[in-house]
Amino acid sequence: MNKLFGRNKLSRIEFGLFTLPVLLCVAFAFYVPFFMSMMYSLTEWNGIAKSPTFIGLDNFRQIFSGDANFTAASLFTVKYSFLYIILINVFAILIAVILDQKLKSASFLRAAFFIPYILSLVVVGFIWKFIFMQGFNSFSELTGWGIFELSWLGDPKLAFYSVLIVSVWQSIGFYIVIYIAGLQSVPQEMLEAATVDGAGPFKRFFNVTLPLLAPAITISLFLSLTNAIKIFDVILSLTGGGPGGTTYSVAYDIYRDTFQNNLYGYGTAKALLLFLVVLVITIVQLTYFKRREVEN
Amino acid sequence: MKNKRRALNLLEIAMIIIAFVFLYPILLVLINSLKSFQEVMMDVIALPKALAFENYSYVWQYINYPRLFLNNVVITGLGLAGIVFFSAIAAYKLSRTRSRISTVIYFLCIMPMLIPFQSIMVTLLKLAKMLHLSDSIWGLGIQYWGFGAPLAVFIYHGFIKGIPREIDESAMMDGASSFRTFFSVIFPLLKPVTATIVIIQGMWIWNDFLLPLLMVNGSTETKTLTLAAYTFVGQYNTDWQYTMTALMMAVLPSIILFIFMQKHIVKGVTAGAVKG
Repeated sequence: MNKLFGRNKLSRIEFGLFTLPVLLCVAFAFYVPFFMSMMYSLTEWNGIAKSPTFIGLDNFRQIFSGDANFTAASLFTVKYSFLYIILINVFAILIAVILDQKLKSASFLRAAFFIPYILSLVVVGFIWKFIFMQGFNSFSELTGWGIFELSWLGDPKLAFYSVLIVSVWQSIGFYIVIYIAGLQSVPQEMLEAATVDGAGPFKRFFNVTLPLLAPAITISLFLSLTNAIKIFDVILSLTGGGPGGTTYSVAYDIYRDTFQNNLYGYGTAKALLLFLVVLVITIVQLTYFKRREVEN
Repeated sequence: MKNKRRALNLLEIAMIIIAFVFLYPILLVLINSLKSFQEVMMDVIALPKALAFENYSYVWQYINYPRLFLNNVVITGLGLAGIVFFSAIAAYKLSRTRSRISTVIYFLCIMPMLIPFQSIMVTLLKLAKMLHLSDSIWGLGIQYWGFGAPLAVFIYHGFIKGIPREIDESAMMDGASSFRTFFSVIFPLLKPVTATIVIIQGMWIWNDFLLPLLMVNGSTETKTLTLAAYTFVGQYNTDWQYTMTALMMAVLPSIILFIFMQKHIVKGVTAGAVKG
């Protein structure tokens, strides 16, 4: 008995030694700042004054009673996320299906589409700023096409699509790769059987391939949604929120309030709302996953 | 059959053209980084008349490139070492212990994946200043231990569950301690997932922007490649030839690494996405 107790104690110490370091790291990186944030969201603080003033829920009241910037940024983020998710998944599936046709250059093409994904987002924004500003000048001289004469970063409507195009360009390779992996798990016999039954390529795609691609689609939808909500870096370097503040996303709006307007308490309150939205989306997503797993 | 072959060939040619157009922006940056200012202003598309390598030597010295590169290596290396080590030992113990506390700790480790960085950035900066982890590349590297841990613990945990317990039990029988068992028996088995984690998190840390901006942007000595490109473009916003050079120098290490390790990188990223 005594020996058993000793062993137990030892294994408890061991358990602590193995798990405590990671707990400390995670606590320092997330939990402590997160709980500090919760407190700051109830205060008014400009970062310079010695101590924050407690104002209760006033920050949240102010956000909900009409913060034009936050409303605009939320609308931008919702519209952007919606279009981003559709575009990226449709194009990624399309390209993945083509690359899966046993093209000789398939691995080269896959690599080509993947390259922007390994670049830093801030740098990607600058690359495209150069293309939109200088590159399009030369393209329009060369081709005379009106599309290159438009002010892609100066017109509020077009600036939105510029942000969208650049984000899709940067990350599509990642989703193509996920879909290629998904396509490889589609059994060849099933496609052949469908062909024997007289199904054309489109029918085959929509009735056989697409349903079997469901797991890959679920993953991609989830990842593209979580990434879209947090869009920040590309906008910072591509449009800087302009023209006229029309391309601020929620994440960028929070950044502007905290670090540019020095509204630490207020910005933190907004950030907590963002956390709640992400939390709800994830819970919905996980429940959906669970139900699917049970059904299968 | 012949028709089908021809259609495939046409498709292939079309895709190669699309891929070229797709990568053309990066190519244009490369071309213009090798031109003089006048040439860039006259025509962006034209190839350089003479290769202006002086752009590179100018930017190299101005931003102190070797220093930045070393900073990136230190931050990424230190970050990855901590993430892999701490997450692997924790995930091992957590997946081998069946108790309520083990489950609680596991969820405490992975839940932060839900916390958007914006909701902690202000207080994180305050905390890092208190602990003297800001304004130092070592301090920044250490911070990544916590930020990378949730995903790493999650992936390791899932993988270790698939390794039969008999393997560590027989090592323990031979008298090896828990640590010994882990390092000489289990850790080598984790190689494929470790590779996945190193690739995904390495890419992220190497390219990360907001955390370094908050932590190490104060001095030129501690900047990262991405930060330096950001500041440089801000200062030289109309000297396109220099900004193109700076951007190219910021992304070249990633592109070169990708060319050599393409297969592993693509595989690692896919595995991470499917498991995560």
